Amino acid sequence: MFKRLLWHLLRGNRVRMAVALLALTSGGAVVSALLNLNVDVNRKLSQEFRSLGANLVISSQTTAAASGTSPALIDASAIQTIERAQSAGVVAAPYLYVVAQAASAGNRDVVVAGTWLDRIARMSPSWQISGDSSLPRADGVHCLIGRNVSRTFGVITGGKITLANEGHVANLTVSGVIDAGGSEDNQIFVNLPVAQKLAGAEGKIQLIELSVPGSPEGIRALESRLQSALPALAVKPIPQITEAEGKLLGRIRFLIVSTGLLILVLTALCILATMAALAMERRKDVGLMKALGGSMQKVLRIFLAEVGILGVTGGILGYVLGMFLSIWMGHRVFGASITPRWEVFPATVALMLIVSLAGALPLRLLGNIRPAVILRGE
Amino acid sequence: MFIRLLKESISRNPRRKLLTGVALVLGMAVATATLTVAVDVGTQLAREFRSFGANLLVTPQADTLPVEIGGVDYRPVAQGAYLPVSKLPELKSIFWRHNILGFTPFLDVPVNVAPASAGVTKPFSATLIGTWYKHSLAVEDGASTFVTGASVTDPWWKIRGQWFNEDSTQCVVGASLAQDRHISIGDELSLSAPSLTGSTTVTVTGIVSAGGSQDNAIFCPLTLAQTLAGKPGEFRELSVSALTTPEDAFSRRDPNTMTPAEFDRWYCTPYISSIAHEIQQVFPGTRVRTVRRIAETEGSVLAHVGLLFWIITIAALIAAALAIAATSATTAMERRSELGLMKALGATNLLVGALFLSEQLLIAIVGGCIGFAIGAGLARELGESVFGVATSPRLIVLPIILAAAALIAVIASWIPLYRAAHLSPAPVLRGE
Repeated sequence: MFKRLLWHLLRGNRVRMAVALLALTSGGAVVSALLNLNVDVNRKLSQEFRSLGANLVISSQTTAAASGTSPALIDASAIQTIERAQSAGVVAAPYLYVVAQAASAGNRDVVVAGTWLDRIARMSPSWQISGDSSLPRADGVHCLIGRNVSRTFGVITGGKITLANEGHVANLTVSGVIDAGGSEDNQIFVNLPVAQKLAGAEGKIQLIELSVPGSPEGIRALESRLQSALPALAVKPIPQITEAEGKLLGRIRFLIVSTGLLILVLTALCILATMAALAMERRKDVGLMKALGGSMQKVLRIFLAEVGILGVTGGILGYVLGMFLSIWMGHRVFGASITPRWEVFPATVALMLIVSLAGALPLRLLGNIRPAVILRGE
Repeated sequence: MFIRLLKESISRNPRRKLLTGVALVLGMAVATATLTVAVDVGTQLAREFRSFGANLLVTPQADTLPVEIGGVDYRPVAQGAYLPVSKLPELKSIFWRHNILGFTPFLDVPVNVAPASAGVTKPFSATLIGTWYKHSLAVEDGASTFVTGASVTDPWWKIRGQWFNEDSTQCVVGASLAQDRHISIGDELSLSAPSLTGSTTVTVTGIVSAGGSQDNAIFCPLTLAQTLAGKPGEFRELSVSALTTPEDAFSRRDPNTMTPAEFDRWYCTPYISSIAHEIQQVFPGTRVRTVRRIAETEGSVLAHVGLLFWIITIAALIAAALAIAATSATTAMERRSELGLMKALGATNLLVGALFLSEQLLIAIVGGCIGFAIGAGLARELGESVFGVATSPRLIVLPIILAAAALIAVIASWIPLYRAAHLSPAPVLRGE
């Protein structure tokens, strides 16, 4: 009996039902798309922020060596420890800076940065490197030079540079020019062993830079994990990058979430309007049911079941549509594919159920109906 | 007659209009809020991006290669070229002066540090960075002063204690240096430049953590560093923080290859390259570099977030339209019996349709206006809580909102009205 009544109600006013379902589906689609994107948006944006370069730096606890301003060096084995403790997406590179004299260019001072040349492109994606930048880590005869070095020294790709420092000499061939838009434009990049030889500091590095994607909490977690793995060293975030990045990510997220909430409110309003119309239209049905002895509870239960079915259907349809929407948005906005998440499904259905039940509040008006008045046709 | 009918219809049953009205007000409020925020989100986020620091660097053109590691220049004073401080106010007189949020000159001087009070152990050498923290600059456009310095361009610097006062013999010591050399607030240091005789005693007023090699340096007022370096009124590097439009394919073109019309368009858009071009114009003999990692990240993040937010805004607009359409359709349907009665009394379809549509329009315009007011307040709140800056209402949104409200209300009530108009009055009046 209950089922038959419900079936009749659902088929009764198709236009009305279609409007309600449309509202629920579109609301559900937007909400589930946003929920699905929420995780990915943060990941993608924090990935994009990585073009800022490193955000964590590991160096010696004491910054300056006992004598003079030459910086304290650390053992190169630290980088192996970090490589072993590698977590997803983290890029690490060691650095050793030496101020050397360019014997081939009037013995002028130049900063030589020893690092892993094969990591440069991943550490600093915003750099434009002309020439061949894919040098293997073991290469000891090639270097990349900054734009200003190239101009001041008059050396271009293919040219030769001789660097000297305290009797150590390195003869290098320029394989590419870096346009970094920063102080790196004034530096010469070589592989770590070359710089170590120039500095006379075999097996030593000055610092390790890490580019860590993720939330500020995730970065802090990695920071403390690395700190406990390397107790002798200082693991520090680069405040310029981490603070501003965390702040921006938080704001963007808040903006998206608050807009999503507004959309939910509007969906509820749409359901409310539809249900109010339904309630008014059904005054006669309810009057008749009551006159035939149906209790108000039974009548309401039927209507609530109807609304519930609408909500669940809207949630399911909305989820399916929302997944397509989020995949499209992922392509359009980030140029990346986005995987549908199953945990969004129950959340969407539950939200739509809540919204539709909240929208069904006007049905309470039906409780006031007196059968005699209705049946008289007033 | 028509106007009286309209008046009657609205005043007689206000509750019935209430639902449509509320839906319109709410829907339009949300539409206004999201549209206003969407228009502003780019500018606000661009401003937020300035907390990453300067995006332009100005250095002398005839400069030698800076020996710079981690933001500290280790060159001796005798090497390289300098720029005059007296030219700096002109930066606030360029076409894009309002986009220049701040600039800070830097002068790095290698110094020998000796203890003037008992606390510090033994002499050592360090780099002294002369700069502005909060410097008031008289700007050319009249009486106003412009406060700039590291507080604007390097907002992440954290100080324990106090910043130095301009034109004083106070200094602030980098955190690592302070730790290594056991320097604490209140200590006095005697600074002397290797190339010059004589020394200056400074008081430490704070410990700063700036990140990178700058934590090993000593910061002091620019004038003090100039005296120590023997370079009065000069500096070596200027960092500029400017509000810019994200780069696109057009802005990456070489301005020399543009047609005059294209050049004007480029010049009149605050691309980072056109601002750099203008700084170069007022500062001849300099090289203006874009800090690429910041400019590029800003460009890509802004473009993506902007697009994302527009998609969400459109979704919100659709939701608002649906809500209004549903309520409009509801009220129109409810009045079928009224329609039937009017037709039975001889009203033409045209009159009935005109009556109902003008009623809907009236509600739409009133609801749209109220919705706009509420939405502007909502946008204000949203801007305040997200960016800390209230979003100012945009009047341009109002006509769009009103037109949208009217259009949606009319279209939504059209179908039920059309169907009702083609009914014969008798069954409707019978209540079928």
